[in-house]
Amino acid sequence: MSTSVTAAPAAAGMVEFERTTSRWGRLTMIAGLVFSLAGPLYLVFFADLGVTATQLFAGFAAVAGTFFVIWLVEPLTYFPILGSASMYQAFMIGNISNKLLPSALIAQSTIGAKPGTPRGSLAAVMAICGAATVHLLSLLIFVGLLGTWLISIVPPEVTEVVRVYVLPSVMGAVIIQAIVSLKQVRATIVAFVVAVLVLFVLVPLVPALSMVATAIVVLTTLVIGWFVRKREGAAGQDVRPEAP
Amino acid sequence: MIPITAMPSAAAAAEPGPVLAVANTPVLWICALGVFLVIAVQSVIYIKAARKAAPAAGMSPQELRTSFRSGAVAAIGPSLAVVLVAIALLALFGTPAVLVRIGLIGSVSYETAAASIAAGTTGAELGGPTYTPEVFAIVFFAMSMGGAMWMVATLILTPLLQRGEHRMAKVNPALMTVVPAAALLGAFISLGLAEVPKSTVHVLTLLTSAVVMGVCLLIARLPGMRWLREWGLGMAILLGLTVAFLAQSAGLGPAG
Repeated sequence: MSTSVTAAPAAAGMVEFERTTSRWGRLTMIAGLVFSLAGPLYLVFFADLGVTATQLFAGFAAVAGTFFVIWLVEPLTYFPILGSASMYQAFMIGNISNKLLPSALIAQSTIGAKPGTPRGSLAAVMAICGAATVHLLSLLIFVGLLGTWLISIVPPEVTEVVRVYVLPSVMGAVIIQAIVSLKQVRATIVAFVVAVLVLFVLVPLVPALSMVATAIVVLTTLVIGWFVRKREGAAGQDVRPEAP
Repeated sequence: MIPITAMPSAAAAAEPGPVLAVANTPVLWICALGVFLVIAVQSVIYIKAARKAAPAAGMSPQELRTSFRSGAVAAIGPSLAVVLVAIALLALFGTPAVLVRIGLIGSVSYETAAASIAAGTTGAELGGPTYTPEVFAIVFFAMSMGGAMWMVATLILTPLLQRGEHRMAKVNPALMTVVPAAALLGAFISLGLAEVPKSTVHVLTLLTSAVVMGVCLLIARLPGMRWLREWGLGMAILLGLTVAFLAQSAGLGPAG
């Protein structure tokens, strides 16, 4: 199932795709930004709650103090995985690591496309659109329409367990999925070693780094993974689609 | 990591207090639905663009549809998990804020942390008697501004990174195939292992989820079982959370 495409039209087609998604991705993201800020600004200015500018600034400053590193680091961390087109989707749709990345990865492995190739980025974009559709619908129906009713029938112990353990329940599966479908033995080993060293040695020594631990692991894995990569001819790390 | 102490009590959920009266005003609903609409429009534009570019990338319309379907099916498990967490927070933030903040932009752990940090600056506690409409407005503003900063960073950094990517791709095309895979592995393995020190139940959940996925992927190699590749994630989440629930009930969970 090797799709040999002559380089020139492929490049032209992808350039056009990048231009469209960059322009419209940016415009839609700005629109999303405006809508998401309009709500709280309405409350502040028109709801007559007596909120002062000082209070707002204090609240935001406290949040910024905790998170400003993440604001910068997360886009940098996910860019190599998502590519520019999906960046404008992912950071508006949210739940990137626990929903969008697994969806993109599974779609790529289903059609046998590699992340980073044109096929891989189109598969990721389509997968994120599919994930967004499911997500918007389930939010509208189960939270928007039925939320107040559901909360009355779902035992609080259940929602509490989901809240506390949702991350490990997603990540365990996703790690296996990534290892199996990417078939990058060396990068996998590097990632494990680096993650263990960063999480269980570096972070306990320098707790301030805990917020950027993932970014450190990603960057280090990237660099070491690049130097230890398998070098075979021109095809490099080419991976055949998985056997069905 | 999630410093939320006050979960809404059943009583608070039953009678809409003054906070919920403010939090569920129609204007906030309109803004929330606006975000939904923007994402829907963006998806349509992206699908059209992908369809146009597909032949050039050597991709059949069938493969585009398969990708969309795979992504959609794979998202069912994670989406329902987010839904369950979101409804638990309805009593705290009202429906519109939960839809936008918890459901979309950002994620549960970030938003709840941001909310309790912002509430802390006013001396109030989320869900407590000090949690007034005024505090809600401050909290909602701080969460939203925080989410906005993510988007601003994305808007500024993406074009810059894109330029860097083009330059690197020219220097060595292999970069473009090695780097994303290594980054993906690094991100997932780091996020997964970060759960290990939290508690025994976290470890059990992580392992269950991993084993279920492994079994699903093995069975998916059999003829006629390919669908398990897509449904595997949902099953792993469900079984992982079931084990977490049982282990928690057995008293293995973290104190408190």
